[in-house]
Amino acid sequence: MNASKPLWEFVDISNAYPGVLANDSVCIKLLARSIHGLLGENGCGKSTMIKTLSGVKQPDGGQILKDGQPVQIPSPQAARAMGIATVFQEFSIVPTLSVGENIFLGNMPRSSLGVVDWKRVHSDAAAVLAEMEVDISTEAITGQLSVGEQQLVEIAKAVAMRASMIVLDEPTAALGEDEIERLHQLLRTMRSKGTGILYVSHRLDEVERIVDEVTILRNGRVVRASGETKINVREIVTAMVGEDIGEHYPKERNAADEVVLEAQGIATSAGVNDVSFELRRGEVLGLGGVLGSGRTEIARALFGTDGLTAGRVVLNGRPAAFRGEMDAIRAGLALVPENRKFDGLFFNFRASGNITAASLGKLTRFGLLDLKREEQATQGLIDDLDISAQAEEKTVNFLSGGNQQKTVIARWLFSSAEILILDEPTQGIDIGAKIAVYNLINELTRDGKSIILISSDHDELLAMSDRIAVVQQGTIRRIADAAELNHDDLVRASAETGRNREQGEVLA
Amino acid sequence: MKRIFDAQLIGPFAALVIVSLVVALTTERFLNPGNLSNLSLQVSIVALIAIGSTIVIFAAGIDLSSGSMVALLTMIFALMLKFVGVPLVLAVPLILVAGAFLGLLLGLITAYGRIPSFITTLAALIAFRGLALTFNNGSPIFSLDPALEPLFYGKFVGIPLPFFYLVFFYGLAAFTMNFTKLGREIYAVGGNPAAAVLTGINVRKVQAITFVIAGFMTAVGAVLMSARLNSGSPNYGQTLELQAIAAAVVGGASLAGGRGNILATLMGAMTIVIVQNGLNLNAAPSSVQNIVLGLIILLAVGIDMWRTEISALVARVSGRKPEAEAAAGKKAG
Repeated sequence: MNASKPLWEFVDISNAYPGVLANDSVCIKLLARSIHGLLGENGCGKSTMIKTLSGVKQPDGGQILKDGQPVQIPSPQAARAMGIATVFQEFSIVPTLSVGENIFLGNMPRSSLGVVDWKRVHSDAAAVLAEMEVDISTEAITGQLSVGEQQLVEIAKAVAMRASMIVLDEPTAALGEDEIERLHQLLRTMRSKGTGILYVSHRLDEVERIVDEVTILRNGRVVRASGETKINVREIVTAMVGEDIGEHYPKERNAADEVVLEAQGIATSAGVNDVSFELRRGEVLGLGGVLGSGRTEIARALFGTDGLTAGRVVLNGRPAAFRGEMDAIRAGLALVPENRKFDGLFFNFRASGNITAASLGKLTRFGLLDLKREEQATQGLIDDLDISAQAEEKTVNFLSGGNQQKTVIARWLFSSAEILILDEPTQGIDIGAKIAVYNLINELTRDGKSIILISSDHDELLAMSDRIAVVQQGTIRRIADAAELNHDDLVRASAETGRNREQGEVLA
Repeated sequence: MKRIFDAQLIGPFAALVIVSLVVALTTERFLNPGNLSNLSLQVSIVALIAIGSTIVIFAAGIDLSSGSMVALLTMIFALMLKFVGVPLVLAVPLILVAGAFLGLLLGLITAYGRIPSFITTLAALIAFRGLALTFNNGSPIFSLDPALEPLFYGKFVGIPLPFFYLVFFYGLAAFTMNFTKLGREIYAVGGNPAAAVLTGINVRKVQAITFVIAGFMTAVGAVLMSARLNSGSPNYGQTLELQAIAAAVVGGASLAGGRGNILATLMGAMTIVIVQNGLNLNAAPSSVQNIVLGLIILLAVGIDMWRTEISALVARVSGRKPEAEAAAGKKAG
């Protein structure tokens, strides 16, 4: 495999932003018929590298070779014309258009009269999907598909333009286990047909499963490039973080017997159905299950976002009726949302404003904010949580994903919240920051706070929870000690959902 | 104090200084005390109304109603003074309450009725003007009260009173935005309403409050407008809402909400008025003034949007290394 000639070579690529050197003489060779992993912590320069090779950013130094010839990629259009298709984390599909229209967007087949040849749009799109062995109707409205299917449409766009190189930026961030497997199958098929693939991911277990070669970046430099077929996760972690981090999941058990929150047969119109469980002081209760199984909806029900249609929530032995988020927060609940960019952070504030936003009352006397106390308290948290020193100099949009996530969680450390719902707290952040989040969870439970942890990362869920509730179709199938469950239990539970549904349909 | 006078003021302040210099150099009369005192009178009404417009913008709303509300309030004010016989000392506070109440109404419709503020206040822009015309058969009411004019033209230690109103209300607004819980919540709601909900901020209440503030400041403007002309008229305040929004935008407030400094709005208002004054002194027709005002708004937002490109251009022209490369060089070395 190493003997084959590289399709693309990026030689000594350097990229500078104000104050940082994002890429420092990075070299990457991309081969046909190969899946190349690009790894590294947030802020290591991966994103900048992707921008460079998809034509979004011009490198400040270095050379790009296509089939050995020096070229430039002046724009995203040029990149596509040269055969590089990039699937960014934020999809570029138009949700209101059909699958066929999206696949040929900007490049619609036309009839001799110059109008769009709709028959060919759909037949050609169907051919592309068939070639990918994907079963999606070309007439379907793309926005109504699942996230996984939308991503397949995004990849179909790349296949339709006969790209020789496909770049996937965190392709599995929003996918369930089944969908990930399906994506990997597709990538293997494409590899066997000769396409080169650059695969960027945080999930190391995946990388081990699918990648042929890896390039690891740290602080903008290549720290490791390997063509080995056998890739060792532990070595990767060490290379990414720059030190041997030892225990990957530093779990502490702090659960007491006292029940702080009890859900009694709760249901909502969003699909939560007869959910009952107890949460103890200092406990981490994991909610397992696939995307769309109803975990987030259970969180919304507890938090007062969706009104209960049945059952009740008992808080510290007293029934609680939350008419909205404000009531829940006043009662000591907190929700760290899945998407910190959408409803977590205030990008117009520095770290301090973000940290104190939920507890302004604490800092207020006679309507006045005690800014000095705010500064001292948040500086303490910034130091404790090892949030970047830049956090107080600039607004939080300048921080890396990991630092942003730590800032959002710090908000609830500063507040007097007793029960925290963490929805995918480590999604899209690097290993170092993940471990920091785990340590935070320990710190919170040590203080007697209780946590409901929602995570699609099964290893994380198993390692960090005391008990796990397996959620399926809006209800809890099983609650067990995390120690009694394994990876397969969670995966199988997810898979069974689909099978049961199929059987049900057959019976009906 | 560091918080109030932050970096966001540099741009608007520079614009104000440059505009003032240009006008001072191209006209003879700009710097004479009469003209300057006249300027502070001219800027006062729009600058006071712009406080409310800006605070609404901070919370990611927009208030298009203020011009028409001025007309409506001057008519009610005139009716009270001239026909009902309400004494001035009572009529002024009543008008201020009326303005706050109209603002509350718009705020409630926007925040709790979930109608975008652009629509709510557009409807109010049209309806308030219509309402103003229903009084006194649509005719202006003149010669209200001899004690009214000094509210606008009066002086204290030789300085026009509107100067003190500006200092007082901008001081209060800057203090509120920077040192109170309410101010922080307004910025939070404007910055990310979804996150504000999840942090327990009463987003709707905060939004409604910004409109109450806007209504109150509009009433302050209406009282001064009546005092200035000793009358009330359904035709007052035309396009005043746009001038107030222009002042906010020239001052760097982001229409997306969450960003901006209230004191910059005062600078924005002054910049606009000084440009108009400069054109006046150079005998430019009012059509030209409007064209120039339009260009200023585009330029102000453009400079903000194209900041990186401009600094790169400046770096290239001056032959200096761009900041990025300099930093990179430092790191590599």
